[in-house]
Amino acid sequence: MALRCKDLVVEYTRGGYVVRPIDGLDMDVSNGELALLLGASGCGKTTLLSVLAAILHPVQGEVWLDNREVTGLRGAALMNYRQQRVGIVFQAFNLIPSLTASENVQVPLRASGMRRRLARERADELLGRVSLGARRRHRPAELSGGEQQRVAIARALALDPPMLLADEPTAHLDYLQIEGVLELLRQIADEGRVVVIATHDERIVPLADKIVGLSPRPEAGGNVTEVGLAPGETLFEQGNESDVIYVVEAGEIELVRRRADGGEELLARHGPGEYFGELGPMFAIRRSATARATMPSRVSGLPLREFRSRFRGERTAELIAHAGGSSG
Amino acid sequence: MAWLISLRDLQWRRRRFAIGVVATALVFALGLVLSGVRASFDNEINRTVDSFQADAWFLKGGSLGPFTAPRPFPVSRVRDVRRLPGVTGADPVVILGATTTTPGKRNLQLVGVVPHGVGSPAGKQADDLARPGGAIADQRLDLGTGDRLDLNGANFRVSDVTHGMTYFAGIPRVTIALREAQRLGLNNQALATAIVARGRPARVPPGLTMLGNDEVAQDLARPINPAKDTISLIRFLLWGVAAGIIGAIVYLSVLERVGDFAVLKAIGVSGRDLLGGLLLQAVLLSLLSALLAVAFEKAIAPLSAMSVEVPTSAYLTLPLVAVLVGALASFLGLRRAVSVDPALAFAGAG
Repeated sequence: MALRCKDLVVEYTRGGYVVRPIDGLDMDVSNGELALLLGASGCGKTTLLSVLAAILHPVQGEVWLDNREVTGLRGAALMNYRQQRVGIVFQAFNLIPSLTASENVQVPLRASGMRRRLARERADELLGRVSLGARRRHRPAELSGGEQQRVAIARALALDPPMLLADEPTAHLDYLQIEGVLELLRQIADEGRVVVIATHDERIVPLADKIVGLSPRPEAGGNVTEVGLAPGETLFEQGNESDVIYVVEAGEIELVRRRADGGEELLARHGPGEYFGELGPMFAIRRSATARATMPSRVSGLPLREFRSRFRGERTAELIAHAGGSSG
Repeated sequence: MAWLISLRDLQWRRRRFAIGVVATALVFALGLVLSGVRASFDNEINRTVDSFQADAWFLKGGSLGPFTAPRPFPVSRVRDVRRLPGVTGADPVVILGATTTTPGKRNLQLVGVVPHGVGSPAGKQADDLARPGGAIADQRLDLGTGDRLDLNGANFRVSDVTHGMTYFAGIPRVTIALREAQRLGLNNQALATAIVARGRPARVPPGLTMLGNDEVAQDLARPINPAKDTISLIRFLLWGVAAGIIGAIVYLSVLERVGDFAVLKAIGVSGRDLLGGLLLQAVLLSLLSALLAVAFEKAIAPLSAMSVEVPTSAYLTLPLVAVLVGALASFLGLRRAVSVDPALAFAGAG
């Protein structure tokens, strides 16, 4: 297996809180396969690409490429991995505006130590391959979105890496441009590379050999479950996938959010008859807080459909308002 | 590759860099002009002292110097000096401040010498001084040979013009015959304010003080030392202003290129390469400014009311100063560039 992610947990801090967009992900992609990371905004697609590119380090788990572990790379080995093993196509193309198309493609080649003449020849060859040979002296501002995207692909392929990562490759393109870019990405995979594309554009699905859904998809139906909790026992953790909405039958549940400094912030306490944790299942997002019992407690877990029927009188806006932004 | 990216970025933002280069060049040029003014202070002192071609200066006892504290004493004391062993020649001189109205009102320094004696110019200039009403004036008075020169209300005729014969920060000197100077400033009495001698005696006649040329130079420098110190301080501050301009331009450039740096890092360009490129940009900016500054200085110096004599060493050290200023100025920008997180390359995390 060319690319393997094992029990991957990724966290970062934002606005003073810890965010865990990826929690225990397993993924395998073979050479020649094109994998789609599919999900809504904020579900962790780009974060996962950053981890695969060894730009972000996971807090747990491993990433392997061609039987070499990526997650432990540091220093020169890390730089070498980014240069030689991974090609990245960024969402906004991210070409250097002052450089011509050819010079943009030459950047990784020259950074790897290739001589100027060879780098220029290789860049022109790659631009020819993406049908931009005649535009090699143009600056990004003089190229269309599709052309910029193809220059970005040529740059990503400059050092012939075994893995190509593309972040929302269709986001800034019209349908005419999308066709050419998708065809190119498919070809690149067919040449034996691992291609991983992060997208929320489900039109790309037929292109993929493998689809990794990163948005939680809680079941609307199912049975009501009852859970008993001892004092201090955790019901769910911040960053966990959301499944059901809880109603406190007895005792008390506190919702806390992890701060970047390692501490916790108390968001709310819920007693008998009150519910919490409704936003995750409603909007298919991960838990934004940890739920923990402060005393011997008992809660019922309601699937979304059951929750809606039980609280039929309240509109969605009221349901959310009830949570006061601290639904967990 | 870093140098190419830096050069291309310079081209890309050429207007801003051009403004920065011109502004920095003006600052460097002002630095050069100030160096020239400061150097002219020292040069005019040396020229003044050398013009007397003396080895020893005799003043009335207790006088600090012939230029700053002239105290008259009888000319007859020159005989005491001439008799001293080691003295091969000595003549009295009168050094006084004076005013003129030709071509306009201004102060000048009056020096009365014995024509053909010690302290006097030689040859035809001395012959001219020996004639009544003859005066040798510095070009800073804006008079030509043959022009009328008013000195303390008396009429003189300019017999020759000197160049760079000024002291006390550019005040022009006029040389006349000793007896004319006595008439103008000492009520026509047979007095002198100094005796200049060739040879250096071991002892000094009673009632007189002997100074060497170095001490006389110090006497000339004393009133302008605060000005020299101030100029040095301002020159130093100007380097700071130049560093500020370059630093601001580089830092602004870094801020605008944070996304580029993130991408370059993400695709494996080393931080060292990025630093090298930025440093190159700052140093290029400084060196271009230094080059332009030389041209600016040539244009500004003639407009200065004071003498500007930029030493060659100032031209030679300017590029070094420029490189240093550029490197130091880019420090903040470099630090910002190094700290850029490559994850920023993934705009709009999802």
